[in-house]
Amino acid sequence: MASQNTAVSGKPVKTKKKDLNKTGYGYLFVAPFVIIFIIFCIYPVVRTLYLSFTDYPGYGNPIFNGIDNYIRVINDKFFWRDLWNTIKIWGVNIIVQLGLAFLLTIVFSDIKYKIRGLSIFRALFYLPNLIAATSVAFLFQTLLDWKYGTVNQLLGTSINWLGDVNVTPYVVSIIGAWMWFGNSFIMLMAGVQGISKEYYEAAAIDGAGRWKVFTKITLPLLKPILLYVSITSFIGGLQLFDVPFLMCGGTNGNPSGTTQTMVMYLYRFGFENNQVGYAAAIAYTIFIMILIVSIIQLKVLGSSNDGTPKKKRGGRK
Amino acid sequence: MATKIKRVILYIALILLAVICLLPFLLMIVNATRTGQEIVRSFTLIPGRALVNNWKTVFSYFNLFQGMLNSLIVAVPCTVFSAYFSALTAYGLHMYKFKGNKVITMCIVIFMMIPAQLSLLGFYDLVSMLGLTDSYLPLILPSIASAGTVFFLRQYCEVSVHPALVEAARIDGAGELHIFHRIILPLLAPGIATMSIGGFIGSWNNYLTPLVLLNTPSKFTLPVMIASLRASNDISTNQGAIYLAVAISVIPILIVFAFCSKYIISSISAGGVKE
Amino acid sequence: MKGKNTMRKLLAAVLAGTMIFSMAACGDTGEAPAADDGGDAAAESSTDDAQVSGKADASQKLVIWTMAADMQQFADKYVESHPDVAIEVVVTAPADYPTKVQNALRSGAKDPDVVCAEPQSIQTFIEAGFFEDLNQEPYNAQQYAENFVDYVWAAGQDSEGNQRCISYQITPSAIFYRRDIAEDVYGTSDPEVIGEKFATYDSILTTGQEMKEKGYRIFASTGELGFFAGNEPWIVDGTLNLSQSRMDQMNTAIELYTQDLTCYVDTWSTTWYQAMNGPIPLVGDEVDMWDQEAVDAAAAAAEGETEVFAFGLPSWGVLTLRDNAPDNSGKWGVCQGPTYTFSGGTFLGINPNSEDKDLAWDFITFCTTNEETLDWWIETSEGDVVSWIPSIEKHRDDENEYYGGQKLYELFLGLAEHIDYSNVTPMDTECNDLWNAAIGSIQRGEMTQEEAISNFYDQIESTYPDITVNRE
Repeated sequence: MASQNTAVSGKPVKTKKKDLNKTGYGYLFVAPFVIIFIIFCIYPVVRTLYLSFTDYPGYGNPIFNGIDNYIRVINDKFFWRDLWNTIKIWGVNIIVQLGLAFLLTIVFSDIKYKIRGLSIFRALFYLPNLIAATSVAFLFQTLLDWKYGTVNQLLGTSINWLGDVNVTPYVVSIIGAWMWFGNSFIMLMAGVQGISKEYYEAAAIDGAGRWKVFTKITLPLLKPILLYVSITSFIGGLQLFDVPFLMCGGTNGNPSGTTQTMVMYLYRFGFENNQVGYAAAIAYTIFIMILIVSIIQLKVLGSSNDGTPKKKRGGRK
Repeated sequence: MATKIKRVILYIALILLAVICLLPFLLMIVNATRTGQEIVRSFTLIPGRALVNNWKTVFSYFNLFQGMLNSLIVAVPCTVFSAYFSALTAYGLHMYKFKGNKVITMCIVIFMMIPAQLSLLGFYDLVSMLGLTDSYLPLILPSIASAGTVFFLRQYCEVSVHPALVEAARIDGAGELHIFHRIILPLLAPGIATMSIGGFIGSWNNYLTPLVLLNTPSKFTLPVMIASLRASNDISTNQGAIYLAVAISVIPILIVFAFCSKYIISSISAGGVKE
Repeated sequence: MKGKNTMRKLLAAVLAGTMIFSMAACGDTGEAPAADDGGDAAAESSTDDAQVSGKADASQKLVIWTMAADMQQFADKYVESHPDVAIEVVVTAPADYPTKVQNALRSGAKDPDVVCAEPQSIQTFIEAGFFEDLNQEPYNAQQYAENFVDYVWAAGQDSEGNQRCISYQITPSAIFYRRDIAEDVYGTSDPEVIGEKFATYDSILTTGQEMKEKGYRIFASTGELGFFAGNEPWIVDGTLNLSQSRMDQMNTAIELYTQDLTCYVDTWSTTWYQAMNGPIPLVGDEVDMWDQEAVDAAAAAAEGETEVFAFGLPSWGVLTLRDNAPDNSGKWGVCQGPTYTFSGGTFLGINPNSEDKDLAWDFITFCTTNEETLDWWIETSEGDVVSWIPSIEKHRDDENEYYGGQKLYELFLGLAEHIDYSNVTPMDTECNDLWNAAIGSIQRGEMTQEEAISNFYDQIESTYPDITVNRE
């Protein structure tokens, strides 16, 4: 995998290029991208911003109403409930997902046990991530049916997987973890393989124990990747939509709204209740939250860079 | 000795985990061959005899192969456009220091952080304004502007495209586009391939946008088709048919994965390290 | 070395892609049309759509959008007598349908020509300007008013009384019950007598208990009670109206559930359909965590399976049962439920942007007022109830074999005459969803009744800031 080991983060060599009057080609090369980007990416985002300041049922003319929609979002206790739902589902998900990925990384990187078959296991663990969320939702909905599902038949239990406020949100979390732990594992593993063998050899010479090697070498060096995984997963997590939407009764978020996520709430207004302006305001509120987290991400990652040898993180394509 | 036993235990645990990853697929395939009544009553790994019946039920409602074809009609151009134009843009941004270069790069980074749902409402408005609803164009065209892929390939360019190489080609009298097609594209191929496979799977599995945009059932992509299966009474009465439908939708992805798992995995690894 | 490897991988990917392509192609020509309902020979070859009626080269083309597959049969019938017309019927899942229509029509789309709507969407569609005024020239729809069942005619009007859409069917809610089980438990299957068993919510509970003693279940789900709760509107003068019948629905649903009188399935779930056709497994004894007696009783019964006595459904349930319960043909009866309500129904209107309004109107009158068509539909659907009074009168004495020879048209016409259309509001879908969710929360023991109702009020307030909520 890592046969070429050139540093990506190293600055490109600054050669004084002779300007052969070629910069015109630059415009030509980026033109298709820029045109489509403006039409399909920037315009919709700006349009949504405009709609968020209007009362717009989805037909007729949007009526400007200032920041009314945003005031409504802030006072909407169900939006905040859904934020909490979303964070709760994501939190359990990330603990299971990263915990499992971590364990696997430790197992596979252990020099003593020399576990074989990394590529096969990696592929198998990644498999659930390939399947469309619609298929995953359908599959689990049928498997997890309370009275007539295979899982209860298999376990001999009678757990109402999809209809119990104390169970269902975590079922959604676990399904998420099941879909994504392979992905995290691969990333962490890539990080570990990027750590120079010299560190471990030196540690072995010093007679450091396994735990010490892990906490003093592996963990600090993996920190950037770990943060990257958990924060991108947070951004994805705040946008959680399709699995609970398809598995828990549409935008209702059954049972009792415990699986209603913020994006499901948005969808409910934007596409089911003809309150497009309000939905747009919800969308922007979510965006602002993600933006804040992203800024924190950049700050945290930026500062952690100091302690991390750059060479170790680059170069794997 | 202790090490050996521990190893065995570890292997068993790993295999168990792999089974957990595989079991739902296995159950799905087995249940696809059983009748609804059988599935409700008991659980088994022995295939039943209802495959043909389930098949007929599924296909009387939806032609899943049509859905598969539709998904390909969307996913293949998406992948190709995204690959070609992203490479073009990335190279353009890397090679030519024109005015606005920095602004574009910054926009790309910011837009990578923006959630898809944010633009969905405005996107729908735009598409209906252009009269493009129920067409594949609004699903395909935006792939020309794949911010993430451009960002990734731009980084890739910094490593693998050496200005000296381009200069040499220019001295030989090659045109800029010719240089891009003949020299740069092959250079970027591994990077493009990793992003393309991820892009293909993403496009194949995309649900929300086609759900909102497509109106004609015969144009539905596979995920939308599967999701709307629940609208059919005939299918609701037969879990076997549901399993079969899902199985059919999953198989192509499994085939692609079997062939390209290494690329997919290296693409994820790269994603993790790139930040 | 690496380059070579890359090529091989890409080649493999291409091969895989080709495989899928060829699979898709085979499927397309081979298996595809397996069980489509009827010979659309012309349509099969067209890649665009398998649901086109009529010749591909017809001079006129009509596009119909609907959420019920019925329209396809009407389209097939129409082109029989109109060979120069081709009709494309686009069927969308009911949950997605309003979104689809609104998104398409708000951009001024010329398609569809004919728009179908369910009662709760009609007012929204009218406000959004999706329906042509049918009282104006050349339609003059008001001339037909006399011949339609009142509530259906009123449902298709805007606030000024202009006709905007028309339905070919009436959909009063009724109780569909198993005659053989009625004989077993009560010694009779007479709809009058059984109707008494469902006449009030109290009697429904009693019936539920009597059924359970004999090893049956009165309903498969408790959700069907909702079909009878709509005899008062959700919103009156901009204020939420939590009527007695909604409370009755809630209380009865909770009692049925906690007393273990149903099968705990969801309405419209797979198992719910299976319960129509025959026995389903009796859910485990450990199930009922609230009632030890119920647990013991179930253990004593020791039956592995149970059968469901009744389903509450609108009149189109006639077709649902016929299609999903082939093994129980002739064993069903239909009687009145606790209230006079209706649910669903397909209303047809014309898209103001349509380029072929005359053809669209001709099709609508063909479906709704043409007695020949309606005779055909009554015969074909084997039990759908039309809204054109002369046709119902004509078939008043028809006996439906699937329902033990019962005269269903007479029954449903009688029920429909009591229905008050003004009970329908555009907020119904949302209110019902939230109300049913509240019932579910109480059933599962997550909230007390008080908490659930208070939470319901909160949700209405946050969904519709303009609606006043008076808490008791």
